[in-house]
Amino acid sequence: MFGRNPTYTNPKPCKHLANYKLNHGLNGYNSIQKSFKITPHGRTAMNGDQSKIPRCNFCSGYQGRLYFCLICSSVSCCCSPDSNHALLHSQTENGHEIAVDMERAELFCCVCCDQVYDPDFDEAVMSKQIMEMPRNNNGVDVRKEKSNKRRKLISDSNNSKELFLRMGRGSKSCFPWGLRGLNNLGNTCFMNSVLQALLHAPPLRNYFLSNQHNREICRKISSDRLCLPCDFGAIFSAIFSGNQTPYSPARLLYSWWQHSANLASYEQQDAHEFFISMLDRIHEKEEQARPSNKDDGDCHCIAHKVFSGLLRSDVTCITCGFTSTTCDPCVDLSLDLGPSNGSSTVVADKSRKPSKNTGVSTLVGCLDLFTRPERLGSDQKLYCPHCRERRDSLKQMSIRRLPLVLCLHIKRFEHSPIRKMSRKIDWHLQFPFSLDMAPYLSSSIVRNRFGNRIFAFEGDGSDMSTEFELFAVVTHSGKLESGHYVTYLRLRNQWYKCDDAWITEVSEQTVRASQGYMMYYIQKMPFYKASEELNHLPISPRGDPFLSTAECC
Amino acid sequence: MRRASSINRPPTPDAEVDQEQELSLQEIINIKLIESGEKERLKELLRERLIECGWRDEMKAQCRAFTRKRGRNNVTVDDLVDVITPKGRASVPDSVKAELLQRIRSFLVSAAL
Repeated sequence: MFGRNPTYTNPKPCKHLANYKLNHGLNGYNSIQKSFKITPHGRTAMNGDQSKIPRCNFCSGYQGRLYFCLICSSVSCCCSPDSNHALLHSQTENGHEIAVDMERAELFCCVCCDQVYDPDFDEAVMSKQIMEMPRNNNGVDVRKEKSNKRRKLISDSNNSKELFLRMGRGSKSCFPWGLRGLNNLGNTCFMNSVLQALLHAPPLRNYFLSNQHNREICRKISSDRLCLPCDFGAIFSAIFSGNQTPYSPARLLYSWWQHSANLASYEQQDAHEFFISMLDRIHEKEEQARPSNKDDGDCHCIAHKVFSGLLRSDVTCITCGFTSTTCDPCVDLSLDLGPSNGSSTVVADKSRKPSKNTGVSTLVGCLDLFTRPERLGSDQKLYCPHCRERRDSLKQMSIRRLPLVLCLHIKRFEHSPIRKMSRKIDWHLQFPFSLDMAPYLSSSIVRNRFGNRIFAFEGDGSDMSTEFELFAVVTHSGKLESGHYVTYLRLRNQWYKCDDAWITEVSEQTVRASQGYMMYYIQKMPFYKASEELNHLPISPRGDPFLSTAECC
Repeated sequence: MRRASSINRPPTPDAEVDQEQELSLQEIINIKLIESGEKERLKELLRERLIECGWRDEMKAQCRAFTRKRGRNNVTVDDLVDVITPKGRASVPDSVKAELLQRIRSFLVSAAL
C-alpha cells in the first residue's frame, strides 16, 4: 500500500559474484574484516598495513583505484581503460574475478568492470563498524524491534458505526463547498492567510466539522469564556455552511489577542508566528480539558496529532567519531534559503555567473541544506565524552518521524541583532506540487553516512508513506514592514487564490510563480486527497478524528 | 639453432634496491603524506569543500545524465569514471585548489624541518 524505497532491495549478482559465493562463501569477507578501518565520518576503507602503502602488483603504482583480490590478496590498480590491471589480474589468474575497492570497501567485479553488491559483504563491513565505533553505535540503531510508539491514526472502521450526514449544497455556487473569503479586519491578512490553509487541512477540517471539540460542552465546563478551539471550530462551521459571502473572523481575532497580549494591535504580524501560536493555544486548551496520558510521550491533542513530527539531531566528534543523538518534537520545519549574498561559495559550473540578488532556489535544495552535515565553528567546540575534551564536531539534522501535515516555513525575514537591521529575502523559490520526503528521513541520512550499503537500519520499511502532496501555499509580497499575505488553495485539482475576501480561480503557473513563504503538504494516503469531494461527511460516535471520507460517487 | 634463453639472461635484479632507486620526489612526498595521516585530513577537507560549493551535486547530475543517455544497464563504474573524471578535474573551483595547495605547502615545510 505504501511505497517501499527500491534502493533497499538486493540487486541481482553478476555470474562472477555468484560463482565466487558458491565456491568461497563468506570466507573471503570474514578474513579481510580485520583490515577494515573506519574514519570518524563513518566511511570504511581497507588499510591493512599502515607502514606500507599498497602498490599494484603489475606496475607498483599507488595511484588510481586499487583493488584487493579476494582470493589471492594481491593488489591491482585501475587508472584508465588502457591501464586496467584489475582486469589483467582476472585474465592471468583463473577465477580471480571479485575484488574489493580498497579506498571505499566496496565489491568490484574485475571482469564486468563494475561494482557489485552483496548483502553478506555489507553485513561484514557494518558489523565491524558497529563494533569499532565508540559506544553509542555512531548514531546507528541497528535492527531494533519495531517500537510500539506508532500512533494509531486510522480508526478500525469495522467497530465504529458510521452515520453519514449528507450536507446540502445550498445555493448554486461556482466555487466548491468550503471556499469562502475572509474579511480583513485591519492588517489581519497574516491571520486570514493561515486560517485559509488550516481550514482546508483535511484532518483538522474533519475534526472540527465532526464536532470533536464540542462547543456546547466546552462552554459549560470551561471556567473562562475564552476558548480558542471553540472560536476556531465556529469558523469551520461558518466557512462550510454553504454561505459564500465573505466572513469576518472577529471573534477568533479577539480571542487570539486575549491570549497573546503583546501582539494585540493593528500592526502587521508574521503569519508563521500566528500559526505557531494557534497550535499552542489549541494544545493548551485540549491539555486542560483532557490531560493526556504521557505513557508513550506523544501528545494526543489535535494540533500535535496533525502537525507534530520528530526531528533528530546527530552531533559527531570529528576526532573519534562518537555521535550523540537527540530527538525533539517539532510542528514545522523552518528552512534557510541558502547561501547569503556575501558568502564566497562558488558555483561549480564556471559559465554560470553566480547570481546575487536574483537568486533562484528550490525547496528541495533548502531541504538538502537543512539535512547537510554542518561543521560547527571552532568557537562552538562541544565536549566529547569519549575523547574527554572539547572537540570540533559535525552536526546533522534528519527527520525521525514525519507528521501527517507537513508545514515548511521559509526563513525569508532575516533579523540581524548585530547590525540592528532586518531584511526580507525576495528570491523566488521553486517548490514541487508532489514531494517525496524519503531522502530526509533519519534512516536515509544515517544510511548515507556509511556509503553504498545494503543493510537494514531501524526505521526502514516503516509503513508511513513518505509521499506528500501540496494543498496550500501562504505567500508574501512586498517589503518587511509593509507586505501582504495571500494563500493559494488546491481543492478538487483546481487552484484558488484567497486574497482576504476575494477568491479567484488561478492556474498552476500562477501558483508556481508566487513567492512561497509557508508550504503545507499532506501525506498521500488512500484516504486523503486534496481533490476529494466533500458531499459526505461521516460522523463516528467513537470520536476518532481520522475517518475515511467516502469517495465521490 | 635455438638458443636456450636462460643462458644469456642477465642476473635477476634485487627488487627492493630497484624500488628505492626509482622513487621519485613525488612518491616520497606522497608516502610522507600518507604515513603522517595528513592525506586523510586533506581528503576530508577536500570532500567538505567540494560538497559546499555544489561540485558533488553537479557531478551527480552529470553521471545521471550519462546513465540516462546510455541506458541504465549499459553503464559500468569504469565507464562513468572515464567520462566524468576530465569534467570533474576541470570544474574544481580555483579557491578550493588554492586552499589545498596552501595546506600541502605548509605540510611540506613542516615535514622538511
